[in-house]
Amino acid sequence: MFNTTADVIEGLGKQQYIASGEIGTVLYLAERLNKPVLAEGPAGVGKTELAKAWAAAAGRELIRLQCYEGLDETKALYEWEYAKQMLYTQLLRDKLQVLLSDSQTLSQAADKIAAEDDVFFSQRFLLPRPLLKAVLSEKPVALLIDEIDRTDAEFEAFLLEVLSDFQVTVPEIGTLTANNQPLVLLTSNNTRELSEALKRRCVYLFIDYPTTEAELRVVRLKVPDLAPALAKQAVDFVQRLRRMDLKKSPSVSETLDWAKALVLLNAKSLDKETLETTLTILLKHEADVQRARLTLTRDDGGPRRGRSDPDVFDGNIRPLKRI
Amino acid sequence: MEDRIIQFIAGLRAAGVRVSLAESQDAIRATSHIDIAHRDLFRTALKTTLIKERADGAIFDKLFPLYFSSGGPPLTPSSDILSPDEQGLLRDALRALAGDLKDLIRRLLQGQNLSQEELEKWARRIGADRNRRPENVRYLTREMLRQMGMDDLVEQIEKLLGQLAQLGMSPAALGQLRELLEANAQAMAEQAQQYFGQSLARRLAEQPPDKPTVDELMDRPFDALSESEARELRREVVRLAARLRSRASLRQRKGSGPTFDAKTTIRANVRHGGIPFEMHWKKRRLKPRFALICDVSTSMRPVVDFLLRLIYEMQDQVGKARSFAFIDHIEEVTDEFTAARPEIAIPIVLRRLPPGYYSTDLGISLDQFVKDYGEAVDRRTTLIICGDGRNNYNNPRLDLIDFLKRRAKRMVWFNPESKYEWGTGDSDMLQYAPLMDAVHQVSNLRQLTEAVDRLFEGR
Repeated sequence: MFNTTADVIEGLGKQQYIASGEIGTVLYLAERLNKPVLAEGPAGVGKTELAKAWAAAAGRELIRLQCYEGLDETKALYEWEYAKQMLYTQLLRDKLQVLLSDSQTLSQAADKIAAEDDVFFSQRFLLPRPLLKAVLSEKPVALLIDEIDRTDAEFEAFLLEVLSDFQVTVPEIGTLTANNQPLVLLTSNNTRELSEALKRRCVYLFIDYPTTEAELRVVRLKVPDLAPALAKQAVDFVQRLRRMDLKKSPSVSETLDWAKALVLLNAKSLDKETLETTLTILLKHEADVQRARLTLTRDDGGPRRGRSDPDVFDGNIRPLKRI
Repeated sequence: MEDRIIQFIAGLRAAGVRVSLAESQDAIRATSHIDIAHRDLFRTALKTTLIKERADGAIFDKLFPLYFSSGGPPLTPSSDILSPDEQGLLRDALRALAGDLKDLIRRLLQGQNLSQEELEKWARRIGADRNRRPENVRYLTREMLRQMGMDDLVEQIEKLLGQLAQLGMSPAALGQLRELLEANAQAMAEQAQQYFGQSLARRLAEQPPDKPTVDELMDRPFDALSESEARELRREVVRLAARLRSRASLRQRKGSGPTFDAKTTIRANVRHGGIPFEMHWKKRRLKPRFALICDVSTSMRPVVDFLLRLIYEMQDQVGKARSFAFIDHIEEVTDEFTAARPEIAIPIVLRRLPPGYYSTDLGISLDQFVKDYGEAVDRRTTLIICGDGRNNYNNPRLDLIDFLKRRAKRMVWFNPESKYEWGTGDSDMLQYAPLMDAVHQVSNLRQLTEAVDRLFEGR
């Protein structure tokens, strides 16, 4: 348990995660209030990374549930090990006969079996999936529910019981309650609206692309081999790409990949040739690459300052009059 | 402090943020875990527990300072920095300038804070007690200071300092005095601004401004919506989509198909010792597939905006949706929508296809559609054309419509114009309409929602 917000930030820092004051406060509060954290933001800003760092900083094991369309309880929660049950029934047949041999009536035999039926509907035959694993774990764990926006609305509703009370109901056994409250982090890439009920149960954190300074710190930390001047240039360049109107802006993880590539290529500066050859690490759409190349040749490198960027849209669409 | 937080939450609700009871409880619990004297911590604690949507963050940022501020910095009396001798000089100077100086500068010298009563009096005088808009606070403050004589202040300070210099005050003391007067003027402005802001916030919380209800807005034609009303409706789309989504998924649930689901059956019958008492069948989840062809010329933009929003909010009920935008040529815009939420994607799309004048041409666009994206339409696809059918007297290419109709499962037209306008001027709607499986008039959100709902009917 962290004692202050600063502790959280320091703990994350030790795991090589540079956290803002906001992230620190939200994680600290989530632990205090026993609430899951819902982290939203564009892809690749380090939401999943945050969960890993948080788990490591708190000294907990991380259990990860990757969401996808069509994910259901049997894959997220538990499944009966039917084959194992059958096998046990077969193997124990002799034992059953011994048990039933001295019973006089049918009802006596039934009673005897009834007394033993817990054997077959016990956790022994339950195949725990990530959610049940998190609930049943002896040691405190951290649970990462990744990309929750990919699941169907029904699964989201099903998650509510787990998230608010950290308990799971298995009809044949009963309700299982968490031994230790897990730390829970849900991530969403914001491709669809999540239900109000789910949001209500979480504390909310929006992680945006980092500022130039923050990103530079991340690059320096994770790729220490890159020369400081070059790192600065690289980050400036990435920030500039993000201001452009691209299909997919480069994420922080892509910046890091690029930085590593620059080290491997032994680049001394961001000259035209280096850019040409490595641009595809940052941009994954052909149209984006073309566009970036065009802009590069147009104003010949160097971050633009002082004038408004025509590539930035103010976000307003006004209803216009009929023409 | 709790009262303040509750007032703040009421203010947030009045501004349109949904805050549940559980969330306000969380906010108060959260503040008990942190040092509330630390403003940033306090702010983050409230924000993370109360705001669950990024768009609401802006409202939070606007309201927060109105509720949680110290009431402005206090003024410092000049006696704090001047020696008794210098105070004597100041008194002399004031006496010499008796008629020329206004009350304001005396106040600033004495460091007299604005009292609650004075603030109330000023608020009545400049009409701040009727103000309903946060952006007016700054203006009102300026107005109040102007009426108090702030405009002449610089001149008056010069006069006073000149007099003091004549009386023999040291330049160092003069400099200090000037700084003090300026700081006090600044502090007074902040006091007034915070008072106006807070009283506004309270007023907003007590009686939310009367806006047309969402119900009224749903019936209003798209081209008669103001920007703020359109914004309001866009929020509504999310909830409409949720409702449509559950309707759509219920409809799909109803049909139980003929395929045997071995896995579920085994699982369900474990309790019967593996003897299959309960049979389970694979649910037929044939989600509809859509291809949308949208006219994004200026007159159509509001409709297309809402249509695309609705369809993409319902993405999980749609098997596959590909969208195309056209004015004088056609472009696929599906990627924009799968990569980002509609509020981000729509502006990008609208900017990719800048409107020209009288250049709408469905004929050419259809031709290009069939050539380049023909594979988007198959026998499971519902083809939706959203446009006003106004072709600028270009060739309507009915043959292509016919061709697509034979290939698609259904073909539906969404037109924002009323039936009386079809066929007038350059409208080819009367020629297109008979070729369609259905034509919906979608001039407002209610009609549009119904039309979209109908898309999910049947299979």
